[in-house]
Amino acid sequence: MDENVNGAFINTIKEQIKDGYSLAFTQKWPSWLGGILIAIVALMIFLWDYTWGIVGGYHNWGDWIFYLAHASKDKPDTLPWLHHLSISDFGILTGALASALLSRQFKFRRAPRLEYIKGLIGGILMGTGAALAKGCNVGGFFSAAAMLDIGGYAMMIGLGIGAFIGLKYLLWEMEHLPQTTPPAPKTPPSGGLDWEKIKPYIGGIIFIAVIIGFYVYASYDQTIVGGLLFFGFLIGMIMHRSRFCFVRAFREPFMTGEAEMVRAVAISLLIYGLFATMIKFNYIQEPMMDVYHPFWIGSLSGGIIFGIGMLLAGGCGSSTLWRVGEGNTKLLVTLVSFALTNSAVSSLLDKMGIRDKLGSAHFLPDLVGWQFTVPIFVLIIVVWVVIANWNEKTEKFVIF
Amino acid sequence: MGDETMKADQILDTRGLSCPMPMLKTKKALKGMASGQIIEVWGTDPGSKNDIPDFCKKNGNELLDMTDLPEGYTRYLIKKG
Repeated sequence: MDENVNGAFINTIKEQIKDGYSLAFTQKWPSWLGGILIAIVALMIFLWDYTWGIVGGYHNWGDWIFYLAHASKDKPDTLPWLHHLSISDFGILTGALASALLSRQFKFRRAPRLEYIKGLIGGILMGTGAALAKGCNVGGFFSAAAMLDIGGYAMMIGLGIGAFIGLKYLLWEMEHLPQTTPPAPKTPPSGGLDWEKIKPYIGGIIFIAVIIGFYVYASYDQTIVGGLLFFGFLIGMIMHRSRFCFVRAFREPFMTGEAEMVRAVAISLLIYGLFATMIKFNYIQEPMMDVYHPFWIGSLSGGIIFGIGMLLAGGCGSSTLWRVGEGNTKLLVTLVSFALTNSAVSSLLDKMGIRDKLGSAHFLPDLVGWQFTVPIFVLIIVVWVVIANWNEKTEKFVIF
Repeated sequence: MGDETMKADQILDTRGLSCPMPMLKTKKALKGMASGQIIEVWGTDPGSKNDIPDFCKKNGNELLDMTDLPEGYTRYLIKKG
């Protein structure tokens, strides 16, 4: 009798664990949940170290590739494994990889040749756009807006215009370019290891390795960097499981009219920005932290170029990382061309000395006072969502 | 669900393409079809598994079937609404 009860108890626990696993790694998380969680982790990064960004890491990687290939004599200041944004980017990629393995979605995905070319050009455009705007969709728009730097809104408008142009191109391409047949998917080799069964365990091992990594960093007096690895890992996991994608937020209103990702980015930005405002107002972090975006020429033009690039590539600063973690080989090309171009164009802009002409930083509370900062911040987000929701019903902006 | 004998009027192969191309091509193909016709879409993009059902729901098309095939791709059967 006792044994039976025990058996039943263990079975219930097993069921619970199974259900929990399925909830976390089989079903897709709702986008809005992804948005809320990303805002929370972004705020943790802000309090832990500095404002969350992506492109600084790409920049660092590009600098190192140029240096190691003897194409540049300037040795980068920071090693990739000590560079703050490089390590949080690496965390995002690793988090998505672990998450894709745990949910049995990891697979190297090959694409037709035209897609690789689009990935390459998309990366070049995004690298250039992010150099002009001093940030990608995350640092230049999402974090900038939350940090009350109005350059974020200039880039937001630019991203919308760029997404529109990029979508126009994709529609043109479907009509006018020969549609290559994709390579036939490889049939899984029979015999040997059953990868499908092993994948979740590898995912688990990566998760443990990241935790150990944090303590290794801490033991070398680099606790901050170790924390960024972990926070990046969380973001990668959240983004993969909720398929959180900034590109969608800017593209879908023109493509299918769907506004789900607009609402998800909006709720995320609302939480992120309101808490960041409190933190800055109370000097818990420096109020002018991360306020350096070139309003408006740099942010707007950078946003437009970046927006076209993200449509061609099918990924942005953050979603390129998590999609590479999922095994997307097209976006691996994008990652490399993005990093190299960003490094090259950034140093070119510095050397040409035209940074000043691209605009200067403007802090919203300096312009309108703290008392109007919050209402304006909220109003902009509300207007964005209301228009996107209206468009979802009427499809007025849908161009296809 | 899973009706193997369902005859598709058109087959669209998007294998190897990633977001947003499968969705764009599906939308374009559906535009050229008559109400009640069936399209069979093949794809390998993991995002399509959410996008295609959502799109069908929003635009009044009926997703008849969505199956992961052992060959390593997913097959969607959509009836135009």
